[in-house]
Amino acid sequence: MDRKSVDFEAGRSKDASSDSLVSDSKSSSLNSKLGQESASSGKVSYTSASTASIGNMMPPTDNKLRPKQQQPSIVEPGQSTSRPDDPPLLPGEKVMGVAREVTYLCPYSGPARGVLSVTNYKLHFRSMDRDTPYVVEVPLGVVSRVEKVGGQSSRGENSYGIELFCKDMRNLRFGHKQENHSRRNVFEKLQQYAFPLSHKLPLFAFDYSETFPENGWNALEPIAEFKRMGVPNDMWKITKINEHYEICDSYPAVWAIPAAATDDDVRAVAAFRSRARIPVLSWIHPESQATICRCSQPLVGVGGKRCREDERYIQLIMDANAQSHKLYIMDARPSANAIANKAKGGGYESEDAYQNAELFFLDIHNIHVMRESLRKLKELCFPNIEESRWLSGIEGTYWLKHIKYVLTGACRIANRVETHKTSVLVHCSDGWDRTAQLTALAMLLLDPYYRTIKGFEVLIEKEWLSFGHKFQQRIGHGDDHHSDADRSPVFLQFMDCVWQLTQLFPNAFQFNETFLITILDHLYSCRFGTFLYNSDRERVQENVKQRSVSLWSYINSSIDNYRNPLFLPHHGVLEPVASIRLISLWKGLYCRWNPGMRPQDPVYQRIRELLVLKEQLEKQVDECKQEQKARVSRNMPTPPRLASPVRS
Amino acid sequence: MFKPSDKRVSMSFRSYVGFNDHETKAVDIALEENFIETLNPRLLPGEAVVAEAQNVLMYAPLSEKQGKSGILTVTNFKLSFVTTEERHREERGLQENLLLGDYDVCLSNVDEVHQMTGDKRRKMLPGNNISGKVKGLYIVCKNMKVIQFSFKFSPPNHGKTVTNALLHHAFPRKHHLLFAYDYREPYYNCQRAVSMFRDSSDWNKELTRTGAVGWKLSAVNQGFQLSISLPEWLVVPASLVDCQLMEAARHFRSSRPPVWCWSSKNGAALVRMADLQPTITDSKMLVIQPSVIRHSGLSNIVPEARTQENIMLENVRKGHPQLTQPELMELTQDLPSPKDVYNSYYKLRDLCTPDNVRQFWIQDNHFLAQVENSRWLHTVSACLGKANKAAAFLKDNVTVVLQEADGRDMSCLVSSLTQLLVDSHFRTILGFQTLLQKDWIAMGHPFSSRLGHILNADVQQSPILLLYLDCVWQLLRQYPSAFEFTETYLTTLWDCAHMTVFDTFLFDCEHDRLAASRDASKPIVLRTLWDWGEVFVEKDIALFRNPMYNPGKFGSVLNSYSSLPNLALWSQCYFRWVPLLEIKCGGAPQIDLGLRALHAQIDRLQEQLAEVKAGERTTNHTVCTAKQHVTSFFPFSASTDPVSPGLLNSTLALNNSFASNEALLDSQSLLNAPD
Repeated sequence: MDRKSVDFEAGRSKDASSDSLVSDSKSSSLNSKLGQESASSGKVSYTSASTASIGNMMPPTDNKLRPKQQQPSIVEPGQSTSRPDDPPLLPGEKVMGVAREVTYLCPYSGPARGVLSVTNYKLHFRSMDRDTPYVVEVPLGVVSRVEKVGGQSSRGENSYGIELFCKDMRNLRFGHKQENHSRRNVFEKLQQYAFPLSHKLPLFAFDYSETFPENGWNALEPIAEFKRMGVPNDMWKITKINEHYEICDSYPAVWAIPAAATDDDVRAVAAFRSRARIPVLSWIHPESQATICRCSQPLVGVGGKRCREDERYIQLIMDANAQSHKLYIMDARPSANAIANKAKGGGYESEDAYQNAELFFLDIHNIHVMRESLRKLKELCFPNIEESRWLSGIEGTYWLKHIKYVLTGACRIANRVETHKTSVLVHCSDGWDRTAQLTALAMLLLDPYYRTIKGFEVLIEKEWLSFGHKFQQRIGHGDDHHSDADRSPVFLQFMDCVWQLTQLFPNAFQFNETFLITILDHLYSCRFGTFLYNSDRERVQENVKQRSVSLWSYINSSIDNYRNPLFLPHHGVLEPVASIRLISLWKGLYCRWNPGMRPQDPVYQRIRELLVLKEQLEKQVDECKQEQKARVSRNMPTPPRLASPVRS
Repeated sequence: MFKPSDKRVSMSFRSYVGFNDHETKAVDIALEENFIETLNPRLLPGEAVVAEAQNVLMYAPLSEKQGKSGILTVTNFKLSFVTTEERHREERGLQENLLLGDYDVCLSNVDEVHQMTGDKRRKMLPGNNISGKVKGLYIVCKNMKVIQFSFKFSPPNHGKTVTNALLHHAFPRKHHLLFAYDYREPYYNCQRAVSMFRDSSDWNKELTRTGAVGWKLSAVNQGFQLSISLPEWLVVPASLVDCQLMEAARHFRSSRPPVWCWSSKNGAALVRMADLQPTITDSKMLVIQPSVIRHSGLSNIVPEARTQENIMLENVRKGHPQLTQPELMELTQDLPSPKDVYNSYYKLRDLCTPDNVRQFWIQDNHFLAQVENSRWLHTVSACLGKANKAAAFLKDNVTVVLQEADGRDMSCLVSSLTQLLVDSHFRTILGFQTLLQKDWIAMGHPFSSRLGHILNADVQQSPILLLYLDCVWQLLRQYPSAFEFTETYLTTLWDCAHMTVFDTFLFDCEHDRLAASRDASKPIVLRTLWDWGEVFVEKDIALFRNPMYNPGKFGSVLNSYSSLPNLALWSQCYFRWVPLLEIKCGGAPQIDLGLRALHAQIDRLQEQLAEVKAGERTTNHTVCTAKQHVTSFFPFSASTDPVSPGLLNSTLALNNSFASNEALLDSQSLLNAPD
């Protein structure tokens, strides 16, 4: 049986990879193979009872602790229309289409027959032919492409149906009966609600009406956050010059800039920086006053244009740090790309023009390279893994190498600020992709606050959302242009880097892996308003805060699920080593659909148990002490109080 | 007991000396000489200095600029470097070996000696004599440690003398030249818990513990008449009589017929035997493709041998309560040979011992592909897969017979790995040591040959033991609370396998051990490694115990995830000598120490609660929260610099209190305990 299942996998992975390119022709043979072999597949036995019953769609990570986002039990009281067949619904969610006698072709456990429902939020499949119902749920925001497979004349079992390609590393295949256009209705509904913007429909976030005790929209209070860092001070001031997003439409409304810079300076610098993204403060060292500032590339162009105001402004940033007479400019790009940008009017700071500034290129590639790298990774991880070439396969995707370069860059920045007490200015081309990765990671290394749950939420709100990382474009919420060149997993890559740090420093972070995965799941799901649109200006215009729920409301309302039991709050600066030897593939994320992968370490379960025990003991000790005190005080000749019943 | 710090020189002088290659001035040397006079290596009873070099620079790992100055000595036991440097290890809580100094290496651990000339290095052949000048030495150890010395400030010929001594004494050609024969420290064995499997009583105990039926203890190998590599007591099918066994044994390689290792509660047994003896003329062919021969019918096995094998297997079947047909698992064909394992290890070691920082980063570019190319993890995967399969048969109550060439390499590994999966007893420290005694030492894994204690071109050096420990580590990683021991225990075990003070991993088989201990001219004192107190102090031994251990949590049978994507490289064991990979305040030790601290806090609360309940006046304990300022390699360290030591002491104090309180491990029983 052992050998058989190995052959079976090897065969499948071959079929499946070609399948993703040419979906129709080969798939029929794949399916029949799946049908035959499913019973003998040794893989299934690996799954624990809980994962097997829920199906491969629940991530194998820590099932009990995952929030109930995928199996919502809260049904809006007003919804009397729900029928017994309906999937569990979120408040504001409605069933849009149902198809019966559908076969879900699970790449791991074989075909399952059941009912497929489509709502305005998710796809829901429930098996009917198994003892323990098998449920697959996918928020439609995760879907990047829906295709019909086979036609009326296709032969072979399950050759006629629908295939979905998802942003979270999986594809789903459904087989329909070949009569009466059985797939037509759900296919149309899938198209409409997976891509509502392409069909003039609202995103689900605006229909979703659940309420939470916490209000996550208050996660970031810009002024309070500056205050936490000791700004304003002698050298840095807060300015509202961009209050109406008139200077820079992709920046936040409130900035911290050198105290000596005038409004005219700001306008002049804005004219010399790509998309007016001028250097502003991201973080300031509480002791040395060395800073991390961010911006976009200077508009140097082929002619090597200069801008006195920009040069002076950069000098002001340097002068704001009395500890050093130097400034490091970290250009995230490879130098070749930076040079090539001159042809398009961009470029980088020449050390002639910017005295005392030292320029470094960090060799991080652009969004297109990253997209391609992730595509290769998906090919490697889903559905099945070719074991013998696994390691060289990972190397071939370059995903970990890109991670390494991003981490190396962040370490360099943190090191310059911490050890050299020197301020660092970070930019790439526009300063909203690689720059966000680098500043956010460097801040995570330097400042333990950002390693708490609430602090990390602030970090995302600040460095990513308020500084205009174009989530709408990079993720492609609700639109059907699956091959849009603007899409790229930049934020995912950042989260992967964060995960790497949590692995290297197991007790430095207040949050756990579930927290990171939950954020990524809802990066795509469109259930919350947090990651919608491209900038603060757009979100304000669209009243996102008023019309939708924040992801942080949801997370902060059940914050215990996301705690790392090992967390020790007193951690200083993190000094990781960005060697590929210490960077690993995040299997809990990329390979989570594969039941053959080892589930998360049960260590954390054990630690939680011990922590509970400790708390109980503390409580018992306290109670006993209280009792003792009460007893002592009763025996004292002090005025008697109304005593509680005395235990002899 | 020998005290390590007795002869320590406490005076210190300029510690890190930055020397540039061409500026060989007489800096500080005059100053140093005053101190050198007082520097001596610490010698064990029976240890003698063979050669010595003065004013030697020992370079910090991966650095050719920074070094410590001191004297380098070759004794009959170790290569010793003594410096006037202050000690930091104690403060940092790092592991301390009572028999070796901080910069000492046991001679048997030395694998390769290279001569340094400028940037180039050349491997030197063991036993050769160098006549020219030796400027520097580069030494690669079997446990992947690399040490580098320079003689540029040494008096003439000192480098050469030490090098020649090392080339001779680190690679002895005779077993009795190993230090264990000379070691004169009196020894009283106070270790009784681990069964040695030298007497019938240990085997009987194990038969009773497993409840084996259908098997009996046989004295057929008394005086090693049947097989020289098997123990004197054998457990064999109850239906066999000794003369049958004698008759059959000669048809098996190394005269190793089927013998018992373990029985399940239902009666299925784990059995191991060697391949059949080939006819003399075609012996080579058998080595290459034994399985082809077996199945193709073109057998060059004597028909009688096949008959004998069948008789044996039939008797194994009769040993099963339901008379179920046993499952034969061939290991020779499916698993790498000792030579393959060695090649694999060698490539892996190359990846873990970069010459310099530049090479480190070059390797980093293709590290994963190179790990794949070493095939080390593939081998680990194959071994785990085999053990999984064997465990599955045993679980289905089918007897498993492991068959392998001489039955002394992969059989040891697979049988013991299988038993770890199916029997939770072996997942305790005591059980694990018992398992090593039973399936490796008693069953004659040729440790002396495989660990390369003796220089002999005819035997294949191969770290089968390391491969096994790596497999166990993968299991530990997948089931962190199923084992009583930690990865530090496993890593330390591998280090100690090269310490020629203990007899545990010193011999090829029980016969050799017995002969050596009875030799009238130079009898060896048998000291078992399981007497850990002989090498380590309590604080280090405490780190062998897994604070996550929760025996009740897992059923008796574990299933390992053996596929390659589920495996990882054992960073503590392989990376710990590379300072570039050492992370301050990071890595797995944080989890380990965090849990120890938590246990200690619970411990204290328990005491407090008891006090309060007893009506005693409560002393206000301050529950200190431990801060773990240790590195990712703790309790090992690649760097010679201290990392903020002060805070560590409190942590370790907590650890000790934990070690003495195992009852706390079961939180449930504690919660339900009556007041």
